[in-house]
Amino acid sequence: MTNMLRCLFAACAGLFAVAASAPADAQALDRIIKEKKIRITAQVDSAPFGILDKDNKPTGSEIETARQIAKDLGVELELVQVTGPQRIPALLADRADLAISSLSITTERAKTVWFASPHGALSIVIGGPARTNITGPADLVGKKIGMTRATLEEQEVPKIAPPGTQIVFFDEHAATQQALMTGQVDAIGAAAFLISDLAKRAPQLNITPKFTVATAFYAIAVKPGNFDLLQWVNTWVFVNKNNGMLAKIYETHTGVKLVDLPTF
Amino acid sequence: MTYVFQFGIVFDQFDRMLAGAWLTVQLSIGALLLGLAAATAGAFVLTAGPRWLRAPVTAYVELIRNTPLLIQLYVIFFALPGFGLRLDANAAALAALVINFGAYATEILRAGIQSIPAGQIEAGRALNLTTVQIYRLIVLFPAVKTVFPALASQFVLLMLGSSVVSAISASELTAVSNTLQSTTFRAFEVYIVATLMYLAVAVAFRAAFAAIYWAVFMRERGR
Repeated sequence: MTNMLRCLFAACAGLFAVAASAPADAQALDRIIKEKKIRITAQVDSAPFGILDKDNKPTGSEIETARQIAKDLGVELELVQVTGPQRIPALLADRADLAISSLSITTERAKTVWFASPHGALSIVIGGPARTNITGPADLVGKKIGMTRATLEEQEVPKIAPPGTQIVFFDEHAATQQALMTGQVDAIGAAAFLISDLAKRAPQLNITPKFTVATAFYAIAVKPGNFDLLQWVNTWVFVNKNNGMLAKIYETHTGVKLVDLPTF
Repeated sequence: MTYVFQFGIVFDQFDRMLAGAWLTVQLSIGALLLGLAAATAGAFVLTAGPRWLRAPVTAYVELIRNTPLLIQLYVIFFALPGFGLRLDANAAALAALVINFGAYATEILRAGIQSIPAGQIEAGRALNLTTVQIYRLIVLFPAVKTVFPALASQFVLLMLGSSVVSAISASELTAVSNTLQSTTFRAFEVYIVATLMYLAVAVAFRAAFAAIYWAVFMRERGR
């Protein structure tokens, strides 16, 4: 009887120890390979990283990266469509295994998700029509500057904007750009690609980048605890940086050369 | 369940959320008052006004009731500047809510007025009441009493619907929540607090409407 109790107790303690020490999803990589399917976020309102082509199919450099990752893992790709603000929640809520949606590396975000080494870079600029006179941060005073929530510009622009700058937030890049084109804001903070893309689409406004606020690197993110998946992704980034695949994807979609990527 | 709730981050920014909730309340009450004024005029035109005015009022009501509030908002904020009318985000939000609530309330008031039997109005005339007295005492008063619950429900829907104005950078409760969520990544905590705030505002408004109903319509009975 005592023996039985002791066994039972040991079994319970063992179970408890396993349950207590198990990280979020330590076997994520094994599960993905076993299920032959990986779920990756797809943000399709963020040209040239992710956008819908004329057949309404996702395309762009980050979608291409996701396809390449699925191919190299030998599994099927399931794209989980997200908006900018949903990229991190989609990971945390287990809707996606990887966030590959030009997610810039910041210490603030690193409190919530784990980043791999960067596989791309982008610059944040203040852009506006030619008639708006802005040459540096000091000129932002008294101007209405639009930007999209949950982006790098949301974090970087307030740091350099002097008091007296009126910053307003929109939920999507499309709304932010529309606000600039209709004159609801004087200028916007956005990625350099977005500004040059906007300048091409609305030539009558003569939109130009005014000054660069910051350059940032973006990376693939995993839910905290997924060591094995993170390790595989880092290996993938290393291999594809050296064989030129990353630069090829980036330059095809952005039309800009990829800068040297650091690692950590 | 490995998610660790951290409400501290939300409570640090609680005053910002309260400010957002306050703007939600202001937008709702502003839309209620202006919208009701528009609706009273609209309902009068539809039931007793000149015939040539009825078609445009009907067109307004049907246009607004059969299109999404978000699109109406975009038209006011993004399309009107092209015609030289530029409203800032909060003003555009109020305008859209007034126009939206006005259309629904017009239809509700019209239904209430038409529910008054013609015989009742004839009885008023037989008692030698003036037109104004008839409209005020025999038509409007019982009509509003009949449709009051529908108006109150529509108003709460308006208050909850005001969350979409965050899309044009108005700074009400949903907008503040979205901004907090995107800077702290604490989606569950932020939205749980926002949900409770909306619930509190909705319950408070419903209680206020119940009190108004009692004060205006129930006490009357005792006279």
